[in-house]
Amino acid sequence: MTLTGGARYFAGRLATGAATLLAISVLVFSAVHLVPGGYAEVVLGPTSSPEVRAALRAEFGLDRPLPVQYLEWLRHVATGDLGVSMGTGEPVSDQLIRRLPVTAELAGLALSLTVLVGVPLAVLAGLSRGRFGRGLSRLAGSTAMSIPDFVLGSLLVFLFSRFALGLPVGGHVPLAEDPVANLRAMALPALTLSVFGIALVVRTGRDAVAAVFNAPHITTALARGERMAHVIRHHVLRNAAIPVITVLATYVGYLMGGAVIVENLFSLPGLAQAVLNGIRGRDYATVQGLVLVASAAFIMINMLADITYAVVDPRVREGHRR
Amino acid sequence: MPFHGDLLSRVSLVVLLGLLAVAVLGPWLPLGDPAAVNVGPRLAAPSGEWWTGTDSLGRSVLPRLVEGIRTTFLLAGVAVMGTVALGVALGMLAAYYRGPIAELIIRGADVLFAFPSLLLAILLVAITGPGAPGAVISIVLICSPLMVRVVRAASLSVVGRDFVVAARVGGAGPVRILLVHVLPNVAGTAVVQATYALSVGMLIESGLSFLGLGLQPPNASLGSLVHEGAVYLPIAPWLVLIPGALLALAIMAVNLVGDGLRDALDVRGVEVRR
Amino acid sequence: MNPETDPSAPVLALSDLVVEYATRHGRLRSLDEATLSVAPGQIVALVGESGSGKSTLGMAAGRLLASNALHVGGRLSLAGRPVYGSGAVDGEPLRALRRDVLGFVFQNPVTALDPTMRIRRQMELACRGRREDRHERPVAELLQEIGLSDVSRVLRSYPHELSGGMAQRVGIAMALRRRPRLLIADEPTAAVDATLREQILRLLVSRCREVGCALLLLTHDLHAVAQHTEQIAVMYGGRVIEHGPTAEVLDHPSHPYTRALVAALPGAEKPGQRLEAIRGIPPVLHTACPGCAFAPRCPDALPECRSTRPVYAAVGGRKLTCHLHTGGTASRSAASARNGADRDPADDADRDHHGQGRRTAT
Repeated sequence: MTLTGGARYFAGRLATGAATLLAISVLVFSAVHLVPGGYAEVVLGPTSSPEVRAALRAEFGLDRPLPVQYLEWLRHVATGDLGVSMGTGEPVSDQLIRRLPVTAELAGLALSLTVLVGVPLAVLAGLSRGRFGRGLSRLAGSTAMSIPDFVLGSLLVFLFSRFALGLPVGGHVPLAEDPVANLRAMALPALTLSVFGIALVVRTGRDAVAAVFNAPHITTALARGERMAHVIRHHVLRNAAIPVITVLATYVGYLMGGAVIVENLFSLPGLAQAVLNGIRGRDYATVQGLVLVASAAFIMINMLADITYAVVDPRVREGHRR
Repeated sequence: MPFHGDLLSRVSLVVLLGLLAVAVLGPWLPLGDPAAVNVGPRLAAPSGEWWTGTDSLGRSVLPRLVEGIRTTFLLAGVAVMGTVALGVALGMLAAYYRGPIAELIIRGADVLFAFPSLLLAILLVAITGPGAPGAVISIVLICSPLMVRVVRAASLSVVGRDFVVAARVGGAGPVRILLVHVLPNVAGTAVVQATYALSVGMLIESGLSFLGLGLQPPNASLGSLVHEGAVYLPIAPWLVLIPGALLALAIMAVNLVGDGLRDALDVRGVEVRR
Repeated sequence: MNPETDPSAPVLALSDLVVEYATRHGRLRSLDEATLSVAPGQIVALVGESGSGKSTLGMAAGRLLASNALHVGGRLSLAGRPVYGSGAVDGEPLRALRRDVLGFVFQNPVTALDPTMRIRRQMELACRGRREDRHERPVAELLQEIGLSDVSRVLRSYPHELSGGMAQRVGIAMALRRRPRLLIADEPTAAVDATLREQILRLLVSRCREVGCALLLLTHDLHAVAQHTEQIAVMYGGRVIEHGPTAEVLDHPSHPYTRALVAALPGAEKPGQRLEAIRGIPPVLHTACPGCAFAPRCPDALPECRSTRPVYAAVGGRKLTCHLHTGGTASRSAASARNGADRDPADDADRDHHGQGRRTAT
């Protein structure tokens, strides 16, 4: 019973994820073909002759019907061929492999900070009842939620460079070269990105913990004479985890945009920087390829989150909730 | 009035109204021309004469800040109006017509929602080119899916109620039902969601402008002011920190007013998207 | 760790317990000098309408009241150990007292279980023994004892996969796992399918008898009370107004309110009958009631019923709080009750938020 219900749930999530991914690929593909003037004019410049443009179109298959081009592109993407940068001639997949570690490390650090700091704070805030504490956490929370990441990042850059607080405010050292220097360089960018995440987790987690604490099964556990620590560990945390997982998936989506800002601000040679350079240099192949990969990653993370809920809360599998 | 006994929301409302007043009255304030160069020394620190300092071209920062506030609210505001129009219309339609139309609207919203928001904005700017139109379209496309979802959910509960059924039995057409019966009942939800959309819009616009993909010089929004000042951060931090702080203050005021509205109107909004 | 409990003392004793809730609309008085005593092993029904204070009394026994509940006066003790009043236990001793003396069975059996955990795991967690329990009994055995046939399936299930009846059996097994001395069951059959109510109730009573555990059954259902309990205590307006042997009280109710309750019962053939056929509405108290809370609805009310609080006193074989019966003469004025003149001075220090400060107004 449970198994088939669970299997159906997972299959459903997988199908939705695949459909969304396909829709996004159409969106990304058509976006580039909506560029005024089209691919060829962008590559060859506005002064190029119509004959030369036509030749280029023919060479890249741009003169074929769009659906055919789309399927062709999709076939290439499926085999890992994301096209060639129109600026440098480097394959986009090579750029991806070269730059991915920087962005992945940045996102991983920010996510870890968010979880390690946010979750304990959320539990504490959820358990405390004072009006003052609630007001203070609300003020701090809305500040952290409202301050744009580039403002926060600029503030950190200013403070750490002006007062020499001991952390570098830009540049990148590869992890393999010098792990300590790498971490020091990554500290401020990751911190900048995690402030919003921490605020998000604290706000959501606090409400979730407080709500679970009012649930009858907690009263039952306390009435049984269970220790508070036992009740929190076994009965509160697991139940309060679901909204926090949801919000963490949202946060990963934010991280992808935030990475653009932070890599720009702290001069990190990551993927987001490449997307930004691609737009500035009208390098559509790069933008197209990297945005597609990022979206795919985001969709997969959301799918993972959906599957995690089902593991945490058996009711989700059978459609009792959400 | 709303916001009974909620100090934080009331203070935010005052701050927000103040900023809006500055935005509206900006051009008539005796602060000087925001575009005039060399009216003072270059990169002068804030002082009695130059309250918020001057920039690298010797422009006074104060009128530029006022223009920045004005532009930031204007762009986000226009985008939110678009979002409300699009989101409310589609949300009500998706609630009224079950079947393929609703399915199409909901799936479309889901796909847009599955895009990381700033990434979607960047992709759009790649098409439109940097500038205000790209920013506004981005905000509309980023904020609409949530608006559609929230309005649809609110409408669904109204559409099934007896007075709507009675109106339908009485021969009222879909337009009349949606405008006369459904719209007033989802207006509160839409207003609350619109305040959250406003804060998201300000974040998106300023983010794009900070990356140099939003508003182009000589126009100024708070985000583009930070972008322009970023190069001088070590020597003229006021060029970055003052517009940055104003931006954070404005967004926070909008968010807290949204919270207050939500509590006062007793509707549920979905805020988190950035 | 092991609380020194007195085996001969009443397992539950309240005297003049006053509990109020701080709400947005001011104080609400839920218990207005409630007095009650439950002897070891006794099966007692606590009957009253919603709002009569019986649930507050039940939760107060474990000091599990919502965080906006205030202990205003009076005492409550469990097996001789004070829970409210001077020298009240708190912290670790309170927890140990709950663990060793008390069991609770709640109204909604499904939500009383952790939704994210299989029954086996929850039961094992709840049964993790004190170190002195060398041989812990397997949870399957506990479930067999309460008459579940498909034990292995139940153990594998999540709470939402169980019927109300099954979940309540699990709840009873978990509450009795340590052989408590007092089980408090708050409307244990209200959320159970009507055809199973009788069965669940019989199970509850028989298991309590086997274990030698006293039972305080909070209920609306007079019919069930008549069949299964030895004693009945009737609550009205936050006080116990009549308490005595069940058969006697139901056959010859003394208090006008009890009389009305019994009269409102259309006959023994309607199980599950709710008590609502009495003229007028139950009181909402904000402070001490100046007289008898039932006086406005009482057909036989005397002038002093509205102005003077009746005291809780022994009359014949039972306890009564009524001016119409001997012992109910005005011995204490309303003013002295309002001012809490005979409140234990130590209680003033105790006027803080109780219930572990963990719940908001519900």
